[in-house]
Amino acid sequence: MPPAHPIHHLEDVMGTIVTIDVYSTAEVTGSELDVLHGQLARARAVLHHADEVFSTWQPHSPVSRLRRGEISLDQAPLEVAEVLRHCAAARELSHGWFDPWAMPGGADPTGYVKGWAAQRALAAFSAETISGAIVNAAGDIASFGGLGDAQPFRIGIADPAAPRRLAAVIELTGAIATSGSYERGNHLIDPHSGEAISRAASASVTGPDLGLADALATALAVAGEPGLALIEPLDGYEALVIGFDGGKRWTERFPMQ
Amino acid sequence: MKRTPIVLGGTIAGLVGVLMFRTTPSQSSFTTIPGASAASGPSATPAASASASARAGSANKASATKASGKSGKAGSTRTATGSAVNYSWGILSVKVTVSGKKITNVAIASLDDGGNPRSQMIDQQSVPILEQETLQAQSASIQGVSGASYTSQGFEQSLQSALQTLGV
Repeated sequence: MPPAHPIHHLEDVMGTIVTIDVYSTAEVTGSELDVLHGQLARARAVLHHADEVFSTWQPHSPVSRLRRGEISLDQAPLEVAEVLRHCAAARELSHGWFDPWAMPGGADPTGYVKGWAAQRALAAFSAETISGAIVNAAGDIASFGGLGDAQPFRIGIADPAAPRRLAAVIELTGAIATSGSYERGNHLIDPHSGEAISRAASASVTGPDLGLADALATALAVAGEPGLALIEPLDGYEALVIGFDGGKRWTERFPMQ
Repeated sequence: MKRTPIVLGGTIAGLVGVLMFRTTPSQSSFTTIPGASAASGPSATPAASASASARAGSANKASATKASGKSGKAGSTRTATGSAVNYSWGILSVKVTVSGKKITNVAIASLDDGGNPRSQMIDQQSVPILEQETLQAQSASIQGVSGASYTSQGFEQSLQSALQTLGV
């Protein structure tokens, strides 16, 4: 019997489309479905709240005001300090290749927030009644579980040379983030030089937390293949780098098929 | 053109719904209402583009309920480019390739977002999602794609007109 797919939802938030999918081994009906829809509403609220607090597009968001020096960190919502702490940890783990403080215009945690928010939205769902759930924020994916009956989620990794094609398919446990110069033009900044540059066509990082995976993927896209050595010792995190020539290199336990 | 794409989510959901519906073997193909999805050129005002979206919404409903007797030749591969459509962030057209009745490829044929960084970012993040959704709706083998980040409501309108050209 094919797995049931009780929720497929698309949310227009954070300047992009976030898709939320819930899978179960049997059809979900009645009050159980109501519970799932309640969880979906919470997940959506988490995403919109993150957008309101962290948007660098909205001039009146707390982060925009913080960047302009109009408010202090103490005056910003608690999540801002939490995210900046996570960003500082990611900067350290990546040996400075991920550095929101090196961005033009003041500390910009955007590269961390999308994954962090998706991971928090995923937490609205409970593994008790469903086999798995996926929150996909424009290609950065937080998940738990799978399709049911021990079938893991299968996730494609876009081919950076042709984003509609797939360069690889992996069986996903947890989160995957992919970063590359094709995403927003060549807008990745090398924190060490301050110049816009990337040394890989794309970099993907899998791991338990999408926020950190996102930050590490950004770091790797800038650092290139030598950056894989930074990921190898990180417990639970694995990475794939695709070069401009299409060549692939990955850490020992990256779940290549 | 800095308008919030308020109908975007619904449109994409509609697209996926229509595509899911299309792949049911017992269903025959659909038509769109000719002209309903095509907006005027670059000089169109935001108001004109908004009404085009509203019309497209009703056209989609019609296409989801109105089956036609047209059918493509089984197994033949054909490509068509849909009409240039004015959407919230600019103008785009979609190119689609079908093999028989199955969509094998869908891509943006042209995209003019006026160079506004905000709309460019939206486009870059959302278009690939629509492309993926279109193809994924016909393939249950993967549950998502990591790393493609480019979308828009005009995508569906242009896709529908391309499919109409192909008689799918």
